[in-house]
Amino acid sequence: MSSMPSQDRKRKISWIDFIVVAVVIGFFVFIAQRISSVLIYKWDWSMVAPYIFYFDDDTGEWVANLLVQGLATTVRLALYGIVISALIGVIMGFCRTVNNLFLRMVARVYVEFIRNMPPIVFIFVFYFFISSQIMPLLGVDDFARNASPATLELIRFFAGDPLLFSNFISGLICLAMFEGAYITEIVRAGIQSIPRGQWEAATSVGLSRFHVLRYVILPQAVQRIVPPLANQFINLIKDSSIVSLISIQELTFMAVEVGVSTTRVFEVWIITAVFYFVICYGCAYTFTRMERRMGRSRR
Amino acid sequence: MNESVTAPVIELSGVSKFFDQFQALREVDMDVRLGEKVVVCGPSGSGKSTMIRCINRLESHDQGRIVVDGIELTHDMGNILAVRREVGMVFQQFNLFPHLTVLENCTLAPMRARKLSREEANRVAMEYLERVQIPDQANKYPAQLSGGQQQRVAIARSLCMKPRIMLFDEPTSALDPEMIKEVLDVMVELAKEGMTMVVVTHEMGFAKTVADKMVFMDHGEIVEVAPPQTFFNDPQSDRTKQFLSQILSH
Amino acid sequence: MADAGTSTALAQRGRNAKKPPLLLLWERSQRSPWVASVQFAAFAALLLWLAMLGAEQMGYLWQWYNIPQHFFREVDGEWIMGPLVKGLLVTLQIAAWCIILTLAAGLVTALLRMSDSLTGSALATGYLELVRNTPLLVQLYLFYFVISPILGVDRFWTGIICLTFYEATFVAEIIRAGIISVDRGQWEAADAGGLTRRDAYRYVILPQAVPLMLPPLTGQIINLIKHSAIVSVIAVTDLTTEGRNLIADTFMSFEVWFTVAGVYLVMTVSLSFFVTWLEHKIKVRT
Repeated sequence: MSSMPSQDRKRKISWIDFIVVAVVIGFFVFIAQRISSVLIYKWDWSMVAPYIFYFDDDTGEWVANLLVQGLATTVRLALYGIVISALIGVIMGFCRTVNNLFLRMVARVYVEFIRNMPPIVFIFVFYFFISSQIMPLLGVDDFARNASPATLELIRFFAGDPLLFSNFISGLICLAMFEGAYITEIVRAGIQSIPRGQWEAATSVGLSRFHVLRYVILPQAVQRIVPPLANQFINLIKDSSIVSLISIQELTFMAVEVGVSTTRVFEVWIITAVFYFVICYGCAYTFTRMERRMGRSRR
Repeated sequence: MNESVTAPVIELSGVSKFFDQFQALREVDMDVRLGEKVVVCGPSGSGKSTMIRCINRLESHDQGRIVVDGIELTHDMGNILAVRREVGMVFQQFNLFPHLTVLENCTLAPMRARKLSREEANRVAMEYLERVQIPDQANKYPAQLSGGQQQRVAIARSLCMKPRIMLFDEPTSALDPEMIKEVLDVMVELAKEGMTMVVVTHEMGFAKTVADKMVFMDHGEIVEVAPPQTFFNDPQSDRTKQFLSQILSH
Repeated sequence: MADAGTSTALAQRGRNAKKPPLLLLWERSQRSPWVASVQFAAFAALLLWLAMLGAEQMGYLWQWYNIPQHFFREVDGEWIMGPLVKGLLVTLQIAAWCIILTLAAGLVTALLRMSDSLTGSALATGYLELVRNTPLLVQLYLFYFVISPILGVDRFWTGIICLTFYEATFVAEIIRAGIISVDRGQWEAADAGGLTRRDAYRYVILPQAVPLMLPPLTGQIINLIKHSAIVSVIAVTDLTTEGRNLIADTFMSFEVWFTVAGVYLVMTVSLSFFVTWLEHKIKVRT
């Protein structure tokens, strides 16, 4: 048997297991003891449950409450965010690889600027800028205020509460700008991972640079871009929690609200973490399965 | 003077090329006339690949000038594209496009750069695939072919652009021994049809049958240029003699 | 020998002849790094000007001259630290503690993950998945509202524990990747030479794996500094918190945020230069 650690090696019970189990049990006993005797915390899940769904006596229907509404906003942010940031990423990633030094500098500065700054500092700075300058410039507020009832319904479906439309859009732009930098690097790596020989062969048959990219490089790069892009989608869901700090009413924001109003913070935060975990783990699991299936069909 | 009859289609004069401090080409002068077959040989690192890659500007030269088919290679992208459409290139590593079928590999450039219709491009491609004797593999992907077959597809792909000149950069070096012949056969055929060819290779048998002119390079210089008979039987330079004794003794 | 620039006669035969000289000049300028730099400077200036214009329309009053005193101030001939420097020191303090704790926790996690032990690897995997699939901010709230009252620690240490909990997963993966990336043949040679597992690690594997780990570990320190800004959410008085307080006091939003961002940039960018240098050095050596 080799000493090399590997995924498929048979695992067995050893002295390490006893230590691990003892430590874990000890930890939980300690925690339980602290909760019941020192903090004297009274668990009450029934107080928090209505904030997920509650039964409306008037209409006789189950209605989604704050936490689920927040979750819906998180999902919207993630879906729109990945589209916009992928767009930014493809354009900037392409700029990272061109001959034109000016475009390369613009893309490089964008990427380095965002990747070297704490996300929350970026969000604060950029949100202040966007909400105070870009939004009025685009007239988003007026648009949402003067929209016809039909448009309002559309906004409600796609972006949640129309009163918070401008706020939602600002948060979305912040998030997309932020993730765009990471996707830029994914796209750049994808393009640059194509062997030099492919460029050389394609240019030597007389294709222009645009045609080389369009017909030879990008089709191959896409296969290498999609898996990390899927992973970035999960990161985007996680990073979207940060926009709660600029009052975008997504899951984390709602959790803070519910925590304050019910004072059942243990339950609220455990539920919130479970929500995120289920979504992110679910996505990760699905993407891995899909990748494996696509990998198989390509052989 | 037969120069007026067959003016050079490739003309290198005083071409130098640097990779940082390293000088890969030292004032190389070379002419290739229409229909001529030139075989370039030399030890590895002698600059023969660099020279051939300068001819269709996969590398840019730093000094001197290169004129191909009456077009001087400068930074002008239009000139470069024009030259590349006249010059076909076959690589050591085939460099087929893995995401396209054999047929699509051959039709891509004619359709995009020559603006042929799909039918026309397909017709031309099939014609050349037959010439390299693999028309039945047209709808397979490169990964499904053997190395020899891939290299023949690469040759067909270049020919589909109807180039006036073909460059071969060690076309058989990456092949298993049993596949070398099928590729060389195709190249001999091509030579017989009168294609202008510049071939970097160590296949001396091929050189003897096909070459009009042998070029020996070492340390970025052209050491010796001679017809094959003289080159193999009566080499002038000591470096050539040494090289030939090493390569022919096996 | 003529060089490429002077060979006008031959160039006449090419396509250049058809091009007007202005176009040629333009094309040549496209390749110059100076032209690109000037273009970029102009572009940056344009963005800056637009931002200034916007700020002006809001009636924003720039007070850059007020910023330096928040770094250092002279009182009675003595220099005292302003809030920004105090905040920076707290950030560095958090980072220093986290680096030590993260290395330890990451190493233990990596070893557990690669061990033969069933529960050990299950625990490590569970921990990694848990951290990977929840946002850092939610973890911070969990630690602040749930874990810290249970353990009875203050917010400063809550921040450190939470960041360690988060960053250690990355460090564990770096260590594991470093060990696994050592060529299979090295393991086999060590086994064939009759080395025990521990000796194989000590004399063969780690000497090769550690240099591979250093650049990504330094990169992780950059991330740590970036991520540490999040502890401002639970009001640990780090650089970001001090910045937010300063804005609340002085309303100099733009100046303070730009300054804070600048300080972070200086720290992270200089570290990333260090990473590049380290990578280069290691590549040269091997």
